[in-house]
Amino acid sequence: MPAQEEFYVRYYSGHQGRYGHEFIEFEFHADGRCRYANNSNYRNDSLIKKEMTVSPLMIKELKRIIADSEVMKEDDHKWPKKNVVGKQELEIRFGNEHVSFETAKIGSLVDVQGSEDPEGLRVFYYLVQDLKCLVFSLITLHWKIKPI
Amino acid sequence: MTDRYEIDLSVRPGDDLQDEEMAETPQVAIKRKGRGFQSGDQRGDGVNSSSFDKLNTVDESTHGKALKSIEGWIVLITGVHEEATEEDIQDKFGEFGEVKNVHLNLDRRTGYVKGYALVEYANYSEAEDAISNMNGAKLLDQTLTCDFAFVKPTSVHDDRGRRGFTSRSRGGHNGRRQGRSSSPSRR
Repeated sequence: MPAQEEFYVRYYSGHQGRYGHEFIEFEFHADGRCRYANNSNYRNDSLIKKEMTVSPLMIKELKRIIADSEVMKEDDHKWPKKNVVGKQELEIRFGNEHVSFETAKIGSLVDVQGSEDPEGLRVFYYLVQDLKCLVFSLITLHWKIKPI
Repeated sequence: MTDRYEIDLSVRPGDDLQDEEMAETPQVAIKRKGRGFQSGDQRGDGVNSSSFDKLNTVDESTHGKALKSIEGWIVLITGVHEEATEEDIQDKFGEFGEVKNVHLNLDRRTGYVKGYALVEYANYSEAEDAISNMNGAKLLDQTLTCDFAFVKPTSVHDDRGRRGFTSRSRGGHNGRRQGRSSSPSRR
């Protein structure tokens, strides 16, 4: 495996509504650059944009999480389409495979079970949560001052 | 599940920041899949916009490649056993200095440990000690790998950012946006 094979991950979840374009989006590049953007105009919240560079070990772990999930084998053609509630996007470039999945927001596992492709959507649903969990930890540890 | 990949040979070398590698292997067939490639949505307000906050990379906050986070140095541990506990991590890594923070995230499906942990030390020397002593060590019979989680930026990216890979695959003129479109107004 080359030192830096083609790799890119991007996740987006958002909608247009009363408070403008509210969304969360993050991405990882193969070289470690990670960007996070979160916007809500609710109560005049401002746009949050953070950039950091993670180490090769972090990228390796991210690749493991994605590979273990087997999400690259899935296909979004039977997943619920984006709607007024909003949409989610998951784009992953992993070696010579490139997926760009688009689906509706998923409230809970009930939405997953009731869909046409529950097995595939479940993989997506859990992977997204695991990725968000990782990103929130990175953001918290890198940026947040612990309250005394 | 049958794969519905579309084979696309239109990789244009010299099109991207991964230029060097692409140029060496310009004929890579990329298998594409997903509705995101058909969607015409273009956003300029997310990760492709500009003016992202970054932590300073001044001398006192870097050491070798490592970069200090806001309150300390963050060590990443991988290969963590799924039944490891926060106490296990505290015990092992507390030997090198006070562990200010531990994130031992769980697999959302199984509820077991996902496989990595992030710990924070106040001082570089503590973090460095932990890494050199614990990298390759065992915890619950699994070998750990340890390194700093954050590093100094490794390469210069166009600050205007670029649309991942998707927009290029839709055949835009180039991956970069032509200037910025207006972000939603804020007040």
